[in-house]
Amino acid sequence: MNGLESTEVVAVADPTSDLLNAFREQMPGLATYSDHEKLLANEQIDAALIAAPNDLHIPIALDCAKRDIPFLVEKPLCPRSADADPLLTRLKEKPLVNAVGYMYRHSDIFVKAKEVLDAQPLGKLMHLRATMYVAQLFKRGKGWRYNKAKSGGGVLNIQNSHLLDTLKWYFGPVATVSGHVKSAYSAEVEDFAHAWLTFKSGLTGFIDCSWSIRHYRTPEIYIDINGANGTLTVTDDTVRLFLDQPAGGFDSGWTTWRKPDVYRPVPVDIGGPQYTHQDADFIDAVRNNRPVACDVPSAHHVQSIIDAVYESSAAGGQPINIAGVS
Amino acid sequence: MALSDLDPVVLGHNPFFGIDHLSQAKAAERDARFQAVDGILDMIRFARDHGVRGMMMSTHPRATLVADALRKDPALLDSINIYPLLPYIAKYVRQANEKGLVNVVLDQVKAGGLGEKISMFARGGMAMLRKDRLQILGTLIQMELMPFKGLRVKAVFLHDALTDMGLALNLRGIFEFYHEEISKRFEAAPAFATKNLPLLVQKFSEWGLPKPLVLTHFNKVGFSMNPSRQACERTLAEADVQVMSMGTLASGYLKPDEAYEYLYGLPRMDSVVVGVSTKAHAESTFAAIDKHRNKQPGPAR
Repeated sequence: MNGLESTEVVAVADPTSDLLNAFREQMPGLATYSDHEKLLANEQIDAALIAAPNDLHIPIALDCAKRDIPFLVEKPLCPRSADADPLLTRLKEKPLVNAVGYMYRHSDIFVKAKEVLDAQPLGKLMHLRATMYVAQLFKRGKGWRYNKAKSGGGVLNIQNSHLLDTLKWYFGPVATVSGHVKSAYSAEVEDFAHAWLTFKSGLTGFIDCSWSIRHYRTPEIYIDINGANGTLTVTDDTVRLFLDQPAGGFDSGWTTWRKPDVYRPVPVDIGGPQYTHQDADFIDAVRNNRPVACDVPSAHHVQSIIDAVYESSAAGGQPINIAGVS
Repeated sequence: MALSDLDPVVLGHNPFFGIDHLSQAKAAERDARFQAVDGILDMIRFARDHGVRGMMMSTHPRATLVADALRKDPALLDSINIYPLLPYIAKYVRQANEKGLVNVVLDQVKAGGLGEKISMFARGGMAMLRKDRLQILGTLIQMELMPFKGLRVKAVFLHDALTDMGLALNLRGIFEFYHEEISKRFEAAPAFATKNLPLLVQKFSEWGLPKPLVLTHFNKVGFSMNPSRQACERTLAEADVQVMSMGTLASGYLKPDEAYEYLYGLPRMDSVVVGVSTKAHAESTFAAIDKHRNKQPGPAR
């Protein structure tokens, strides 16, 4: 945020005194607080970025909303979907610019895939296969991420929520879920998850995810969608379209886009342009008082899918209907 | 800090360590190919025989094995300059996700066994964290550089994720500390990887830091060049900066001939990092470099 034009981080709140001391030392102009409520009460700010353990997202966002301060909250939205109800009610009563940090929506490759899908070259969508893996956890993890009350879950909620948000963005809401989760290294949360999804549109397919699969140096997404007229494959590196017949402005046969084909430069890149695009989109929304596509209601649907996977898994894989989606 | 004898061509480590920013599948394939250190040494010898005298190495776990092997081969050791890039960021990100950043730092230090100073740090734990935060940074740098002891280290690059964070947050003190630490303690040139060349040059000038040696992207399609290819080219032409180019092939997107034609058509280019995965690939890369480097418009500074 601080690297964006006319945007300045003026205050930070964190309960860890060592962290605040480091900020004071290195960034003398920055106001520091051990409590977010004191920050919100004392500082004249235009927007807030909430990066905290999952169980604190909603309480802090609600405090921002009560003061009419637009916020960008990290994903996943909350441990359980019901946790977000007070925030959803407040935002319905008094709309406010709000965003949830599902940054794949700002990744050049995933944006290109969305453009392709919106042109509907595949015809009727038949089947979806989607995975997300990373080689991260091969022994018991430490910290709040492995405490189900604080995190809401393991790899499904913490990492695979990105994939579920992307699928919701591409294919719309999910109506029914049948799922299985399994722990191998963690005591309270799952290390593997698998689910069969039926979208409201009628599209069906599966997701599979784990943070305990070897040889994935960084998190990798793979989405493959089969339609009546061809296939679309999306990875972190490429978008590959194959069509039997020309459609949607695309030729028949293979069309491939790689990262350099779709690269959009950013004012400042810190660990990936998608983060800058996300922050810039949020700041622009605040300036122009316009909605952000990936907002709290949208992220709440992702939480409902995740809840349904856990519920289904506990019931031996029984299909669970998601409330409000028929 | 600029180097008067910067190697014009530096071998990159990514293929050897199973890293490919354009294709994860290709990365896994290379990871398997170079799992034996002999394969890496073979490529280093091959590159040296084609006139390449520099090698970049991140602090990936495999770097320790390569460094050990180099130490056992004095002829090779004497003919190759090493440019460490630290830290191996993916390791820290994965571990921080797994156990939190403070635990990562403490575990790293405890695992180090680096003599009195560091065992004091390990014993002190959180108390030490509170006392001197910059000292922690110094200790981590020391630990990251341990595998390269005894090697001909010319410059030490700070990873772009850290450099760019420091630039965006205006952390001048961190840059000054890194400068002091690398040049005095390690007698190497402090250097910086970045994806924001114009911003780095602007900040270094504002802060009165010496002419920087920078590792940054230059390629004809503008991949990873921010805020734009044109702005980066302008900085290269006008600013007092020494540049080692990376991402010249845009991770295999460009053919060597077109890539180096662009690179050496720039007003100047001090050095380039090349990733080579096979001898045939290396030969075509070195041939393209030789062909176009000789046509470079201006002499390297």
